[in-house]
Amino acid sequence: MSFPKVSSHFVSEKISAVRWLPEQLHQSDRFVTGSWDMDHNFVRLYRLQSNQYADTSVDYIPRCNDKVAMEADVTAMEFVDKNTLAVSCADGHISLMNVQRAVEEDQLQRTARSERLHYFRYSNKSAPCTGLSVYGGDIATVGEDGCVNIMNASNVKQVKRTIEADSMSLLSVCYISQQQLVTANRMGIIRVLDARAATGAQPKLSIGVASEDEKSSNFVSALSTHPMQQHILLCGTEEGSITVWDLRNLECPASYLSAHDSPITDIGFHRKDPSKVFTAAEAGEVWMWTENKLIGERNLQDGSSAWLSGDRVRSLISVDGVLTKIRKSINSFDTNGSRLLCGSDTEAVYLIDNIF
Amino acid sequence: MNDNTVSTFELGDALAIRCGNTLTGVFVPGSKIALSAYRHVKWNSRDAPTETAGQDPVLIYLAQETTLFEEPVLRSLLAESNVTFATLQELGQKASRAEYLGVSHAYRSLVRACLERLDHAKKTPEVQSDEDRLQRITETIIVFYAAECLWHLFEILYMQQNQHVVPQLLDWARFYAPQIEDRATDFLLMAEGASENDDYWDVLKSLVMVGALDVTRAILVQNRKASQPAFKAAELILTSMPVYQEGFPLKKFHSQWEHWHVDAERKIRANTFGSEPELEELLQLVTGNNEKWDAGIQESSEWYEFLPGYLLYTKPTCKPFELKIAAANWLNRWTLLHPDRQLNNMDRMISQLMEHDLRLFIYDTQKINDTHWLTTHLIDLIYHCGELKSYFEQNNIDLPALRHSMIYEYGSYLMSTRSLWQLGVDYLDCCKQEGKAAMELLLPRIPLRSDRHALKLMSVARQRGLVDVEQEICKVLSRQSFDDRRYGSALEWAIRSKDVLLVTGIADFILMNYSKTGNMLCPDVIVSIGSRMFISPRLVFLSKYFEFYKLYRNRDFLSAVELLVNLLDSKITPDYFWPSLLIDTVPLLESNDPKIFSKETVAILHHLETELVPIIERNTDKLGNKNAESVLKDYRVENVDEILNIMRLACARNLARALVIEHTHSI
Repeated sequence: MSFPKVSSHFVSEKISAVRWLPEQLHQSDRFVTGSWDMDHNFVRLYRLQSNQYADTSVDYIPRCNDKVAMEADVTAMEFVDKNTLAVSCADGHISLMNVQRAVEEDQLQRTARSERLHYFRYSNKSAPCTGLSVYGGDIATVGEDGCVNIMNASNVKQVKRTIEADSMSLLSVCYISQQQLVTANRMGIIRVLDARAATGAQPKLSIGVASEDEKSSNFVSALSTHPMQQHILLCGTEEGSITVWDLRNLECPASYLSAHDSPITDIGFHRKDPSKVFTAAEAGEVWMWTENKLIGERNLQDGSSAWLSGDRVRSLISVDGVLTKIRKSINSFDTNGSRLLCGSDTEAVYLIDNIF
Repeated sequence: MNDNTVSTFELGDALAIRCGNTLTGVFVPGSKIALSAYRHVKWNSRDAPTETAGQDPVLIYLAQETTLFEEPVLRSLLAESNVTFATLQELGQKASRAEYLGVSHAYRSLVRACLERLDHAKKTPEVQSDEDRLQRITETIIVFYAAECLWHLFEILYMQQNQHVVPQLLDWARFYAPQIEDRATDFLLMAEGASENDDYWDVLKSLVMVGALDVTRAILVQNRKASQPAFKAAELILTSMPVYQEGFPLKKFHSQWEHWHVDAERKIRANTFGSEPELEELLQLVTGNNEKWDAGIQESSEWYEFLPGYLLYTKPTCKPFELKIAAANWLNRWTLLHPDRQLNNMDRMISQLMEHDLRLFIYDTQKINDTHWLTTHLIDLIYHCGELKSYFEQNNIDLPALRHSMIYEYGSYLMSTRSLWQLGVDYLDCCKQEGKAAMELLLPRIPLRSDRHALKLMSVARQRGLVDVEQEICKVLSRQSFDDRRYGSALEWAIRSKDVLLVTGIADFILMNYSKTGNMLCPDVIVSIGSRMFISPRLVFLSKYFEFYKLYRNRDFLSAVELLVNLLDSKITPDYFWPSLLIDTVPLLESNDPKIFSKETVAILHHLETELVPIIERNTDKLGNKNAESVLKDYRVENVDEILNIMRLACARNLARALVIEHTHSI
């Protein structure tokens, strides 16, 4: 086992979202970043190049290949397929970008921009689109207007369905299956929605996230489901804790773990190895949660998971700090093979090689 | 960067011109000045509208200090130095010298990396076509090049604490005069052909004067005539020059050096190099011939360029305190030979550093147009490493206070500059109470871009215990949402703000709206308030009433009745809601199968008489009969007065019924 290798690269932009380009056969060496809170925001395409200065311990240096200027803060990014990237923006629109891999300079092009998906009904002002989730070719977006919009990547101009899901800002959205979505709002309420039903016909399924202090507000800022067992839902909250739900049983949360001391900004399973979960927090930490081996294998068979084991979860899952003391928010991360990529408010991207 | 240039403002709008082109300025937060036209008013001016009032619009201009940090490439400098700054704060004042040197190197290397990036950016077509930006980048490169140069010199003289500074000074001078070395590289590549260049000997002389003896020798060896005796002799002199190594006995070195020096001069006098006058000149420089050096000085563009080289040939074991005198003498000599040249800031600061005049140095660095980047970080480093503590004490400079004020200013600048606020936080954190107070003022002024942005700000405020800031942000957002008719969002922000009045206000609005229209606003939010409701009694009432509302809709009448009676007894019912609450009892009282017990019926009747009736009477007294309903309104009845009788009858009927049933059962 080799030790993780952390390298930081300053990019002169506050990064709100990072994604590796999906590759089938090999570890990806290209990634995209989106910026926020800048005078001009960009989606940039980077490529890792081996470091020519032999005297440092850094193996790779990202080099910006191409960029696309955005109208407002980038809030989330997700790949729809191998070459198509969906980008949500704080002006209430989403855009589709096409990535062209080349030998020399890769290219990034905007191919489509949606109509204004999110806006406040009374004042008719644009509402920030706060998150998006992709399932197959479908894209679901949520915004501060409390609406969920669903469209297909083949035609983002046409919204298939608009669900008025909430009367306050939605912060995160996640597909559970082709038909089902979960959304989380600023109050910590998670709703299960049906992508096929109109607003009135929505199932009234909502759950409140667990909280240390019931009297204080506790928003859910990050949602993630298990890539194979999609009934396992992880929620990262404002107080820094993780609540795990078994979506087959919504009466009470399956597990509750207090973790970070600051709001969790992103949570997710490793794309290929679901025994690993990563969490990123506002105070500049990224932790890796690993299911202890023996138990993990047994659990795969009976369809349950260490994450659902209630109070025992602490003994079944060990946690390591991957990044600590960054001091400013890590806003987004993405995994690819043995590499982890993090984007932060420190205006740097952190590349961690050999995470396990 | 001149003391005499003071910025002037002129408005030139119609109003200002009418008033004799006078203006007034007010400082506004964020180091801005708000300028507007001004007319002088004296004690004897007539207090009347001016004849021109209302003719011209009053325009307010904002003047802001221009800063180099508008350049996007420079952001990485700010962000990276912020990280290094934080590392230094963690090191504290007890770390080893090597660690502080590491920090100093880190600062310098990030400036160098940034200069490289700027240089790269300057060459891109994007910048080349944008004249303003090109100008800005050029200026930035000059400023930070100077900053790095000064920092490097500071590091050599004050942080490394070497006894002998000449070798480092040579490196330093050579690094900032790269043109000569570039030319030397060309010559090395040209090999034999190099000597045919017109500037061959000039470059060699410069090389000797910057102390690059190795390179000079390498070029000489390649000369066509290298095998001639004159060149061989020169080579011998150059190779045999003793170089001082740290730790070598000083006396022994001096005698060796003296011997070499005398020998070299003797050879020159013996006309060994008569056939090669240019070569002879080189060697005269090496032996410190004043005449030749004076000629060299006249060629040089910066006073400090050849100083380290001169020291190498005349005082190779120069110590820091000896440098002070040597530098002063050299500067005198240089200015005498360049009578028409004014010393610029950079020249002055370098001489201040060499002459150990840190006080003036710090004063002058503050005039560099880098928004005090250099001064702030350098002083912070000086403060932490503590080497110069005694100097500052002797000169009556309160170093901690100086550092404090520099960091405070720099932090406030960052904090009040859009999108740099997160960096400013770290600096203000070092400023104890003042820093906290500044953050308290500056954080709420940051324009909010989105909920996430607001939540980030609040998280920063919460970590520092700035409760007021957090609440203020929530209140602003609550108000915005309310004005935008997003009541759920408004209520949630209000609950976050923990402002009882605000929460009560919004809860009131929702209740009144319900009693007027029968429409419950944002039910999804109310239902999930949970134990957060205890912030305000009105919110408790709203939540509980909503619970009743739901039970009633779900036809769970028995629970609904219990809750309703509890609400009636609760003493938290707002006056305006009594009619609605009591009207809610009517269908329950009048339903076919009895749902309310006798005791509760009595209670309802009691509330009707003791709560609603007095309220109606009070209203009628105050507003007259006709206006009564304007305050007390329910969507189900037209006139509140009418319900009194209906209610009394309903209560009586239900009471009778309930009594009969209850007593029948008991028997």
